[in-house]
Amino acid sequence: MDLENLKDRNIGEQKYRMLDLEPTPTTGWGKFKRVLRRSVKLELLVGLKVTIREMFKALFMGEMHTVKYPFEKLPISPRYRAIHEMKRLLESGHYRCIGCGLCEKICISDCIRMDTRYDENQRKEVSEYTINFGRCIFCGYCAEVCPELAIVHGGRYETASEQRASFSLFEDMLTPIDKLKEQKEYPGFGAVSPNADENIKPTPLAY
Amino acid sequence: MGVVANKKNKTITITIDGKEITTEYGKTILQVARENDIYIPTMCYLTKVEPIASCRMCVVEVEGVDGMILSCQEKAVDGAVITTNTKDLERERQNIMKLYDVNHPLECGVCDKSGECDLQNKTLEFNVSQQSFTAKDMHRPVQDWGFISYDPALCIMCEKCVRVCNEIVGSEQLQISVGGYKSIIVNTQPESDCVSCGECMAVCPVGALVSTDFKYTSNAWELNKIPSACAFCSAGCELTYETKHESIENPEEKIYRVTNNFEFSSLCGAGRFGFDFENRNAFKDPAKLETAVEVMKRADIIRMSGLTTNEEALLLQKIANQTGARLECSDAYGFSRFLKVYQAASGRRFWGGSLKDVSESDVVISFATRLKDDAPMVKNHVAMAVKRNKARVIYMHPIEDASIQNLVTRFVKYEPGSEEGVAALLLELLTRESEVPDSLKSYIEELDIGNLSGESSVSEEELDAIKGDFWKRKRFTLIVGEDIFNHPRVENIAKIIVAIEKFSSFNVVIVPPSGNSLGVSLICDLSSGNEGYSVGYNCDADFTLSALGDGDLDMPALNQQEGTITTIEKRVVPLHVALGYDGYILNDIAKALGVGSEYTIDLTQELPKEAGFRGVAFDDLEIGFSVAGEDIRGYTLEESESEGSLELEEPEELPSFDGVVVYCVNPPHNPNPFTQKAKLTKMEAKLVGTQQFATAAKLSEGDTVEFEIDGKKFQRVFTIDTSLKGTIALNPTFDMGLSAFTVSSYRFSKINIKKVGSANE
Ligand code: SF4
Ligand code: SF4
Ligand code: SF4
Ligand code: SF4
Ligand code: SF4
Ligand code: FES
Repeated sequence: MDLENLKDRNIGEQKYRMLDLEPTPTTGWGKFKRVLRRSVKLELLVGLKVTIREMFKALFMGEMHTVKYPFEKLPISPRYRAIHEMKRLLESGHYRCIGCGLCEKICISDCIRMDTRYDENQRKEVSEYTINFGRCIFCGYCAEVCPELAIVHGGRYETASEQRASFSLFEDMLTPIDKLKEQKEYPGFGAVSPNADENIKPTPLAY
Repeated sequence: MGVVANKKNKTITITIDGKEITTEYGKTILQVARENDIYIPTMCYLTKVEPIASCRMCVVEVEGVDGMILSCQEKAVDGAVITTNTKDLERERQNIMKLYDVNHPLECGVCDKSGECDLQNKTLEFNVSQQSFTAKDMHRPVQDWGFISYDPALCIMCEKCVRVCNEIVGSEQLQISVGGYKSIIVNTQPESDCVSCGECMAVCPVGALVSTDFKYTSNAWELNKIPSACAFCSAGCELTYETKHESIENPEEKIYRVTNNFEFSSLCGAGRFGFDFENRNAFKDPAKLETAVEVMKRADIIRMSGLTTNEEALLLQKIANQTGARLECSDAYGFSRFLKVYQAASGRRFWGGSLKDVSESDVVISFATRLKDDAPMVKNHVAMAVKRNKARVIYMHPIEDASIQNLVTRFVKYEPGSEEGVAALLLELLTRESEVPDSLKSYIEELDIGNLSGESSVSEEELDAIKGDFWKRKRFTLIVGEDIFNHPRVENIAKIIVAIEKFSSFNVVIVPPSGNSLGVSLICDLSSGNEGYSVGYNCDADFTLSALGDGDLDMPALNQQEGTITTIEKRVVPLHVALGYDGYILNDIAKALGVGSEYTIDLTQELPKEAGFRGVAFDDLEIGFSVAGEDIRGYTLEESESEGSLELEEPEELPSFDGVVVYCVNPPHNPNPFTQKAKLTKMEAKLVGTQQFATAAKLSEGDTVEFEIDGKKFQRVFTIDTSLKGTIALNPTFDMGLSAFTVSSYRFSKINIKKVGSANE
C-alpha cells in the first residue's frame, strides 16, 4: 500500500440521519415549561420501569440475583484449580498420601516440600508437608502426577490471609476426619479416566 | 566352535554387533562389550566379583553355537561373531523381567530404591506392561539387621549381597536359603561378627537391603551428590556424600547417606555409616582468631592428628618454618621414622606392593597388625585372595582374631614387643631359597634363630610349617602393619623389611596408620618429645584448634573442606566440600602469619615434588573410575629409584611384657573420635578381655576400671568376650576426644589396672 492510498480519506457515502427532536428551549420560561411537563408526565418512572419490576421480583417474588458475597458464593466448576486438598481413604480414614515425593519433584515452581520417615508401623509416614502458596501457580501438575489421588485441587480460591504460611500445612489441606463422609473425588486433572476399567489388564492369580 | 587354540596373552579379534574389536584373551564377552561401549543388559553382574550367573539377562547369540550364551561368564574367543540383540533375545529378556516382577510389591512409591532401581529400570526398558506368570504369594516380614534392614518381599535373589559378603568382605555372614520361589537371604549371625560395612546394601540392585537409618527419609533424586574420599584410614576409599536440607523447618544441608561406586570399589562401616561428623555451628569471632594467631606465633610445638589433609600439613609446616615451632604428630611420627629408614635403605620412595597384589597373591603374611580393625580394606583384599586364589593366609600377631579365622590358614602368635625378632625370623625364612649378597648372608647366618624363636615364642616348627604353606605357590605378599611404627626398634625393623622386599619373592605392602599419615610424613618434618607451649590442630594441646567443635577455635571437619589425602596405594586423591562451614580455617591463621595462600587448595600444586608429589593443581585432579573399573582419582606419587644402603643391626634383647597388658585398637566402623561423633557409629568404649585376662587382672564382667597409658587416664567398663583368645585385652581410644591423637607409645602397654567400681553396685 502506498502513501497515496493511506492518505485517501474517502470512506464512501455517509448515511447519517438527524433525529427528529424537539428543539432545546432557550428561554427561561421555555425551560420551566419543559421541567413541568416532564414531571407531570412521570417520564422518570418510564425509565425506571425495568428496575422497579426487577426490584419487586427480587424483594417479593424470591427472584434475587445478587450474590451476598462473602456470605454467599457462586458455584464454581468442579475442575477449578484453587487451594489444594489432601484426601483420605474412605475405608480407613488414613490419609492417602504415601509420601512418594512425585508432586515435590514435578512442581514447576518448586514450592512443595515434604519430610518423611519410617514409622512404628513400618510405613512411610509423611511427617510434614507444605506448599508455598506464595509461589504456587496452580498448574495442577501435582494433582495430575499423584498416583494415589491424594493431592487434588479444591475450590478454595480466597488466598488472602494474615500469614503467608496459612493453609499450606498438611493438616490444613487434609479432609477433616469428621467430614470424611462429605469428601468428594476431584474430577479434574489427574482423576481416573471414565474408561479406566477397560484399560486395566488383570494379573493372573495362583489361587 | 572349535576355537580353543588361543591361550593366554594372545590378542584376539571378535565381532560384537558388527563391530570388530581387538582385545586380549581372558576377558568375558560382557567385559569386552562394556569396554567398547556396547550395551548388554544384566541384572546379577557385579564387576568386582566373579560372575554370579543367576539372572540370564546377559544372554547373547554366538554364530555357530546353539542356544544362548551367558556373556558375563563366557570368555571371548578369537573369531567369535556375537549378536547382543535379536527378537528372541528381547523376548527372553522380557520374560526374565516378567518373572522378576511376579508378586513384586507395587511399592515404588515409597521404596528407597525408586529412581535408581535396576528392577524398575529394566521393567520399563523391556516394556513389561502385562504379567503372564503367577505364583502364590506369601508373607515375608521385614528383618532388622542393625545398620541394615532386609525386606525379602523386594529381594530378587540376584545373590550380589551374598557374593560381596563372602568374596570381598570375607565375613560369610549371608547365605541363600534355596527353595525356589521361597528362596530368601539369611543372615547367619544377626547379632554378631558382621563388620557392619554395608557392602551388601550398597550392591543390592533393588530396595531389599537398605540402611535402617536412611529408610524412607528421602527419595534418591532429591539428594545432591558430592564425590569425595574417606580419610579415616590410609585406604582413602572413594565415596559420595548425599546431602539435602535437613527438614522443612531447617533448611541447613545435612548428609543423609554415603554411597560409593560399588561396581568397582568398596567401603567399610566407618566410611559408609560414620559420615555426620561435621563441625556445625561454627562462626567467625575475629577476637578468637587473633588469639589463635598470637598463640601460634609463640607456640613451641604444633601438634596435629593423622587426619590432616596434605594441604593443611603443608600449611602447618609453613607456619612452623615461620615461627620456628616443632611439628609433632603421634599418628605419623613412628611411620615417618620408618619411611625415612626404608627410603634410605631401599633407595626407593615407597614399598612396591599394592592392594591388587594382595588380592592376586596366593600366599599372604599379615604381620604386626590387627588387620580387620586397622585396615578393613586390606583385609578385604586378603579375603579376595582367599576366595579367588585359595590363598594361604598367615596371620602373625600376639592376639588371634577369631572373627577372621575363616580367612586365616595359620595364626602365628608372638610375644608383644618381639616384632624385631619376628621380622628377623621372617627374613631368614623368606630368603632361604634366594640369592642374597654375602653381607646379608652372614647377617642371617649369625642370627641366633633358636634364641629369637624362644623369645618371641614363634617356634621353629611353626616357621617350617609356614614354609610348607608356600609349597607350589607363586605370588606372595607380606603386609606390614601399624604395630611396628611405634616400636622402639622401628628403624631396624624397617631395614629388615627392606631386605625381605629386596631379596625374597614377597611383595611388601606397608599399611600407613590412621588417615593421611603417609601424606603428613612426606610433607612435614616431624619430631617428638619436645617441651613447651603447644598448639594442636585436631590434637589435644595447650591451645586446640578443633574440628570436633570442642577446642579453643573451631576448624572445619573433613567433610567440610577441600583438599587431598595420600593413600596406601601411594595415590593423591581429592576431598570435596559436602557441607557448609562458617568458621575460620587454618589458612586464615596462616594468612595472618603471612604464609597462607588465597585458598587452601592453591597449595595442592605446591606439595613437595621431592617427596613424590607431582605438582598438579587441585582442579585438575580426576575423580571416579575408568570404564574398566580402575581407580583414576587424582594421581599416583612418583617413585624414585636409587642405590640404597642396607646395614642391618642385630635384633636387640626383647623387652618383657608380663603382667596386665592391653592393646590399643578401635573397631573397624569406629576408628576415631570423629566416627564417635557420628550418630550411627558411636558406641560405648569398653575394655574387652578374655576370662584369662580377667583372672589375671582380678576383674569380673561389668567392673569399672581405671588405668593410664602414655599419661592419659582411661576409665572403662570391663567386659569379657568369649571369642577372644589369650591374655591381652583390647582397649579402644575413639572416645578420648582429640587426646586420642596424642597416644604415641607402642600399641601394647603394660598397665596398672585399678578397679573403681563393680558391676553389682
Ligand atoms: S499446582 Fe503446580 S505450582 Fe502449585 S504446587 Fe502443584 S505443581 Fe506446584
Ligand atoms: S504425589 Fe501424592 S502420594 Fe505422592 S507425595 Fe505427593 S501427595 Fe503424596
Ligand atoms: S525394589 Fe525397585 S521395583 Fe521394587 S518397589 Fe523398590 S523401587 Fe520399585
Ligand atoms: S538382598 Fe538384594 S542383593 Fe541380595 S539377593 Fe536380594 S536383591 Fe540381590
Ligand atoms: S575407614 Fe578406611 S577402609 Fe573404611 S571407608 Fe574409610 S578409607 Fe575406606
Ligand atoms: S549377568 Fe550374566 S547371568 Fe546375570
